[in-house]
This record gives sequence, structure tokens and C-alpha cells, in this order.
Amino acid sequence: MASRIEILNDGGFRSDGRKQYELRDISFDLSPQSSADGSASVSHGLTQVVVSVFGPREAKMRRETIHDRANINVEVNVAPFSAGERRRRGRGDKRILEFGSIIKSTFEPVIQTSLYPRSQIDIYVQILQQDGGVLQACVNATTLALASAGIPLLDFVCAVTGGVHSTSPLLDLTTLEENDVPHVTVAVMPRTGKVTLVTMETRLHVDRFEEIFRLACEAGKVLHKEMRAAVRERTGVLVAAIGAAPRGTSAGMDAGDRDVVMDERIDDY
Amino acid sequence: MAAAVASSSTSTSQQTDTLKAATFQRLHPRIYLERFLAESVRPDGRALEQARDITVNVGSITTADGSSLVRLGDTTIVCGVKAEIAEPELDSPNEGYIVPNLDLPAICSPRFKPGPPSEEAQVLSDRLNEAFLASKIIDLSSLCIHSGKAVWVLYVDATCINYDGNAFDAALIALVAALRNTHLPKATYDEDTGLTVCSRRERIPLQINASPLSMSFGIFESTHLLADPTSFEEPLLDTTVTVVLTDKGELVSATQVGLGGTGSQDVLMSCIGIAKRRLAEVRPQIYRS
Repeated sequence: MASRIEILNDGGFRSDGRKQYELRDISFDLSPQSSADGSASVSHGLTQVVVSVFGPREAKMRRETIHDRANINVEVNVAPFSAGERRRRGRGDKRILEFGSIIKSTFEPVIQTSLYPRSQIDIYVQILQQDGGVLQACVNATTLALASAGIPLLDFVCAVTGGVHSTSPLLDLTTLEENDVPHVTVAVMPRTGKVTLVTMETRLHVDRFEEIFRLACEAGKVLHKEMRAAVRERTGVLVAAIGAAPRGTSAGMDAGDRDVVMDERIDDY
Repeated sequence: MAAAVASSSTSTSQQTDTLKAATFQRLHPRIYLERFLAESVRPDGRALEQARDITVNVGSITTADGSSLVRLGDTTIVCGVKAEIAEPELDSPNEGYIVPNLDLPAICSPRFKPGPPSEEAQVLSDRLNEAFLASKIIDLSSLCIHSGKAVWVLYVDATCINYDGNAFDAALIALVAALRNTHLPKATYDEDTGLTVCSRRERIPLQINASPLSMSFGIFESTHLLADPTSFEEPLLDTTVTVVLTDKGELVSATQVGLGGTGSQDVLMSCIGIAKRRLAEVRPQIYRS
């Protein structure tokens, strides 16, 4: 009889050695891809996603333009080698289309589209490796890519998956846990605490739901700190690059003054 | 951005110069390139026969049996290898299959529209397959598990995540690097049940015979031979030449699409010479894994 891998053992440890509320290793990489206006690569443990943003730019299809705001278009591409089993999913795959439309409706109220009427913002998502929490990684990467493209947002959008194993809540699930345990993905805007996405496709008792929902919102705030640090670091790199540009006689003082001004702006945000 | 407040006159005139150059590049790309080539240099500062730097990173995708991430200048390609088991063809019962594929999705460049794979992606995939067959990169009989019943099929999928010209060269490097990184589980065919059993623990690296390396060139206005064109130069070139060598320096294939020669040199021979020098240069980087 094959032994089943325990989701949560008596010592409070999960199958990959984490504690109940522990998130996986996160990496946020905002280094630019040259052709995109903004891009970000996010990994939560083994789940890896790259998002590139083009826009706002002239709409390719006239009939999809809206007279008073920008049109958001999300395209998702899943690499055939990303999941355990090789599967080549076409673009028209219903699951992928649903994925794209979930991301679109998550960001529609957050992007200030009324600033760019009749134009288009294209968000291209490339999923490189899947190990659970793919939607959360896509949402986080999209936020960072939009910020990197300089598109105005109301706030960061931070997403986390949460699940409940009998009565114990878990955060940031891997594939093994997602297959076994009812789970929900929540995306929050950390400053106001407003929620832009809640999606659940498994059955969960309503009493358990409130607890895991609250926990996921808290975890979103934790992610927000990390995301903000990543954006600051990237901004710091850019500011240093501008500061290093050749200038006239008052070089030293100008660079000094300029740096102070930029830092204050970052702190305000 | 309020940062442009205090700037001396030299920096503003530099900014307007850069703006003028960028506008000229957009409006008159051909003349822009001509002016650079007249000085024997290219817009990104390279010499005419110089190719861009290559960065190779293998093994980062654990869900795949082998993977690689390659950057040729700004052109970035991710490649993953997945192995499956299938029945062999009736007339070659001892041979497995290798199925390479290159995808150029909309994410990599504004010039690719969302939709089914473009003609360019399909043509490049086919050429990559031909390079594999011609170079005999893997002995297909080494992929046989049980003659006539079970063989390995290697799906080698490459996706371009940033396009700056010359996807073919970058993709071939990525495919070869991913295959060199591939480990297959030890498989045994059970005659009684007709099923193949794979070991969970034992993994055997693939036997690679020859690693092909390609080098692409373009000919501008039938006068200049440019190596490794970028996405700015590509549409301006009327002829493209691709040379594929193995890591031992043997010539695998040479392809020319378009009319021209440069009038002054034997194009194909000089391309092969440049490719051999390039192979010697990049060998330590690409083949260290």
C-alpha cells in the first residue's frame, strides 16, 4: 500500500517543510525586456511566470476602442513543459481564456484607464513553470509589470492562495496541496484593504471561509511590502543611472539635489 | 518628470541630438543604417562581422526533463524538454523521435500579433528540425526502450520571450543546451503487461553526438555582409545566409535566401570562415554544461 504524503503532519509541518502560514520563497525581477514597455518575472517557490506589458498604445482593432478609456487586453501563454505532463494548449483553450479574463477583470478597476481614451494596454502572460498558485503569481507579476511600464494604478494588487486542510488554514499552496485541499485565491489592494479578486473552484464549508479569507488578505499585505521593496530597488537603479549621465559644471550639487527630491517622492507613496 | 529641472545647456543639446537621431532612425531607417556602415560600424557599435554576446543558463525549470534559458544580445529564448513514451514507426522500430518547436508569441515583440503560430515561427521550427536531422545530434536508436514497442519521444519546446532579431541562432543554442541538460529516467519494458516502467530514482543523461551551432548573416544593399542582425537591421536586409556547424567544426548545412552576393567576396566561404571563428570563441561558454 503506497504511503500518502501528509498535507500537514502532527508537528505542524507541510509536505515541503513549511509551517502552516509560511509562504514560499519569492523572487521579483523587474529587469527590462527591451521590446516591452514594462516587464516583470515572478516566482513563488517553483511557480515561475513572466509578464510583459505594452502600452498604452494605438489600438490594433478599431472596433474594440472605447471612447473615454483604454482597452485592456490580456493574453496568456502556457509553456508545454511547465506542468508535470506535457500539454500543448492552444490559445483558444477555454481554461486559458478564462484565466486571461480573470486577470483582466482584476485589473480593470485598478488601472486608471480614463487617462488614455481610445488606446490599448496589452498584458502578455507567459507561464514557465507551474507548481500551484499560478493565478497568484500572474496577478503579482502583472502588478509589477504595470508599475514598471509606468502605467498609473490606484494601488498594488497582491494575490495569495489559501486553503483549509480539515480545520487548519494553509497559505501559498503547491500543486500537491491544491489537488487535495479546498482553496481560494484572493487579490487585495493593500492600502485600502479592498479586494479585487476572490476565486474558488472547490467546495469549502462557509464557516471555514471567513477565516481563510481574512488570512489571505493579511498575507497580501505582507507581499505588498516585498513588492514595494522590489519597485524601490528598481527605481533606485534607474535614478542612479540618470544621476550618472554627463552634465555641466554644477554636476555634484545637481545630482545631490535631484536624488533628495526623488527619495521624498518614493516615501510619500 | 520634475528631474529635468536643473540641467546645463550641454545636456539639453545632447538630449535633443538623441531625439533627432531616434526620429531619423524611424523615418529613414535605410539611410540611417547606410551612414553607420559607411564608417564600418553598426548602430549598436559592433563591427560588421561581429556577433552579439551569448549567455546560457541551464536547468532552471524543474518540471521539465531538461531546460535552458539563452540570451543572444537582447533576444531571449526559454526552452524545455519533455520526454514521453510512444510506439515507434513500423519501418524504423528501433528509433525514437525528437520534436523541436519554436514559438514566437506576441509577448516577445510588437511585430508579432496574438494568434496561431505565425508563418515565421513555423518556418523556423522546420529549419531547426532539419538542423537536428542533418547534424544527427542524438543517435535515435539510443532512444529505443524496446524494439518495436516503446521508444522515447523528446518534445523540445522553445518560447521566445524577447525578440531582437536572429531567433534562429538563439533557438538552436537553446535547444541544444536543453538537450545537453536532459536526464531521462531508466525505463524497462514489461513484456507481459505491455507497459513501460520508469525508475523514480535512476536518471541517465542523454547521449549527445554532435552539438550544432548556427550563425546567421544578412546582406545589405548587395555590398555589406552583417553577422547576427538585430530586429532593426533584419527588415532592411535583402538576402540572408545561415551556416550550421557541429561543435567539431564540420559543416552541416548552408542556406541562402535571396539574390545577392556582395560582389567583392565569395559570400558563402567567408560566412563559413566567420562561423568557424565564432565557434572557437563561444565553445567554452556554450558547452561547459
